[in-house]
Amino acid sequence: MEEKIIGSMNGAGIYGVISICIFVAFFTGMLVWAFTKKAAYLDKMGRLPLDSGEKDSNEKPQA
Amino acid sequence: MNIETFKYDNRIVRAFAIATVVWGIVGMLVGLLAAVELFFPGANLNFQFITFGRIRPLHTNAVIFAFVGNGMFMGIYYSLQRLCKARMFSDFLSWFNFWGWQLIIVSAALTLPLGFTTSKEYAELEWPIKVAIAIVWIAFSVNLFGTIVKRREKHMYVAIWFFISTAVTITVLHVVNSMTMPAGLFKSYSMYAGVQDALVQWWYGHNAVAFFLTTPYLGLMYYFLPKAAGRPIFSYRLSIIHFWALVFLYIWAGPHHLLYTALPDWAQSLGMVFSLMLIAPSWGGMLNGLLTLRGAWDKVRQDPVLKFMVAAVTAYGMATLEGPLMSIKTVNSLSHYTDWTIAHVHGGGLGWNGFLTFSMLYYLFPRLYKTQLWSTKLANYHFWLGMLGIIFYVVPIYVAGITEGLMWKQFNKDSFLQYPNFLESIVQVVPMFRLRSIGGTLYLLGTLLMAYNLYRTAKAGRFEPDTEAQAPALEKTAEAPHGKYSFHRLLEGKPMFFTVLAILAILVGGMIEIIPMFLIQANVPTIASVKPYTPLEVLGRDLYIREGCLGCHSQMIRPFRSETERYGDYSKAGEYVYDHPFLWGSERKGPDLAREGGRYPDAWHFNHMDDPRATSPGSIMPRYSWLLTQKLDRESLPARLAALRRVGVPYPAGFENGPAQKDLDAQAAKVVANLKSGSVTCDPDKEIVALIAYLQRLGTDIKSAPVTTAAN
Repeated sequence: MEEKIIGSMNGAGIYGVISICIFVAFFTGMLVWAFTKKAAYLDKMGRLPLDSGEKDSNEKPQA
Repeated sequence: MNIETFKYDNRIVRAFAIATVVWGIVGMLVGLLAAVELFFPGANLNFQFITFGRIRPLHTNAVIFAFVGNGMFMGIYYSLQRLCKARMFSDFLSWFNFWGWQLIIVSAALTLPLGFTTSKEYAELEWPIKVAIAIVWIAFSVNLFGTIVKRREKHMYVAIWFFISTAVTITVLHVVNSMTMPAGLFKSYSMYAGVQDALVQWWYGHNAVAFFLTTPYLGLMYYFLPKAAGRPIFSYRLSIIHFWALVFLYIWAGPHHLLYTALPDWAQSLGMVFSLMLIAPSWGGMLNGLLTLRGAWDKVRQDPVLKFMVAAVTAYGMATLEGPLMSIKTVNSLSHYTDWTIAHVHGGGLGWNGFLTFSMLYYLFPRLYKTQLWSTKLANYHFWLGMLGIIFYVVPIYVAGITEGLMWKQFNKDSFLQYPNFLESIVQVVPMFRLRSIGGTLYLLGTLLMAYNLYRTAKAGRFEPDTEAQAPALEKTAEAPHGKYSFHRLLEGKPMFFTVLAILAILVGGMIEIIPMFLIQANVPTIASVKPYTPLEVLGRDLYIREGCLGCHSQMIRPFRSETERYGDYSKAGEYVYDHPFLWGSERKGPDLAREGGRYPDAWHFNHMDDPRATSPGSIMPRYSWLLTQKLDRESLPARLAALRRVGVPYPAGFENGPAQKDLDAQAAKVVANLKSGSVTCDPDKEIVALIAYLQRLGTDIKSAPVTTAAN
């Protein structure tokens, strides 16, 4: 029985290693991607919600 | 450039807005009633349909799925159209979404008080309603993706990413956690048992918080905060990191709800570590929101919309700092099962979801009705009532939670439990429960003020069903030339590719946690003496589920001396292999019941259920006198046993057609005889007999025989 439990612990250890590998790979990729974005693009994207294309603007409540 | 003119659909936004306000008030009222019942157990007037155990899930479902759910749809239907510069993909699907969702809410409001529940937290609704939820959710998702596909804006703003992750993740969570075997129209048994059921449930439960209460609302924050402040978000780059880090990390954190339980240790540690890491993206998002207002804080003083938003984002920051801290195993050993958790969720719920919903409502009504808010002063009163409400709610409940945790663990100088009677800890915190209900009342009063203010605003203005807008058509030639910018264009230009990546990000964590739980048998070592429940016990267990007993009683003794001294040997994974569903509970307003069997005579349970204060003076448990008079539903037994066999409980073939009934009669007669020896007369066909049989069984498999863990 002890061997079974120890065996399962060893098996479980692999999941920790797999998790950390996936984690590091994911975050490295994401950070590289985010930090290679051009400032002009980021600026444009940030302003996107401010223009909703409404003709007779009800962006602001009427006085 | 081909400029197109089109119309945004405001009717659907208004419908969801009204539903948000109405269900919000209903959900808060139910919460208030539940809060009052905790210090005044007679507040249900001995009416079974509004007992604490039944209305607690009604309250949680109402505020999560009815109040926040409608608020989420309201915000998405408004912002998505404007971010995509397109009307919703299909008006039919919009209204199908609206009416379907309201129908689901009404079904929940009817079935939960009637006791039709699966008992799995935030997933209590029975299988026909679960099917309806799936259909309506798919309708919403199709409408969402359809609108994104026909958009006129080339880029997908980060809010849309949050909406997409919400749509796909909730689908996955709902389907996996809803795997049940029906045993009639309003009864089903979870496909999973014990530890596995617990892991799947809290993988779901935690991520329901993450992907229903958090990601859609973050998307809405990224839209409405810049709109209300009139300036872009502080850092779009940070929002990208916020999104990917959050959706990737969140899904791993579920096991922090099961620390120190019978869940394998590796899964607990994984849950704890990823929960701690969540602080980073959460605080990144909070700071991104708050820093958007740098240099514009004067606006916060004047504009109630911004006022509510700032408080909401701050509450988000507080809750997402506290959550990871509570996931640290040592902190959790004190906080788990106590009211600390209740304070935590209400800080997040009332502060983050509640206040952000209020800010959106104050933003939308004047715009939908082309007028100004009827009274800024009243909105300010609402703000302060809400703030005071939150403080009066959470502070007493934090005190209560920490008091409970400390009292449960306290030993005296002779190394005995200082407070061996669980009731002592509850009596101590009852004054806090009273204070908490004052907090809840203030918050509700604020909401009522808002409802009146919005009503007057609507009356003063003129509703605009459609808003005309113009935008250039999206040119197909915008696709990138081969190679250049291809990944970026692919990601943003192709919503489906983006969705696949998002699904991968959320699936990986769930798979790594859940698949080994099912594949490595050693994760649940079986115990030879653990046997399936008898027919009478099955019916008793179903009554335990119907009455929502697990709202106050856990069935999971953690491996602490303070718990084993009080309740007996700590719980083992192998004890739960026939528990469909698991009933570990998450909160203790009463003692743990995992080893309740044989602790008291049958007659004690009978008297206790009739009037808990007769046997336990000062108890806050409601009376369950209807169990003494209602007849046990024996007709459904064959269907129940057959369903349990189908999910893996080894009842012999044909057991339900005859042998089970005989077994039931024999055991019921035994209970009745035991009751008689305790001077209690009771017919064998009453519900109380089954419940007593079940309670007397709890934990006895291990008590009666030495624990031998089978080699498997």
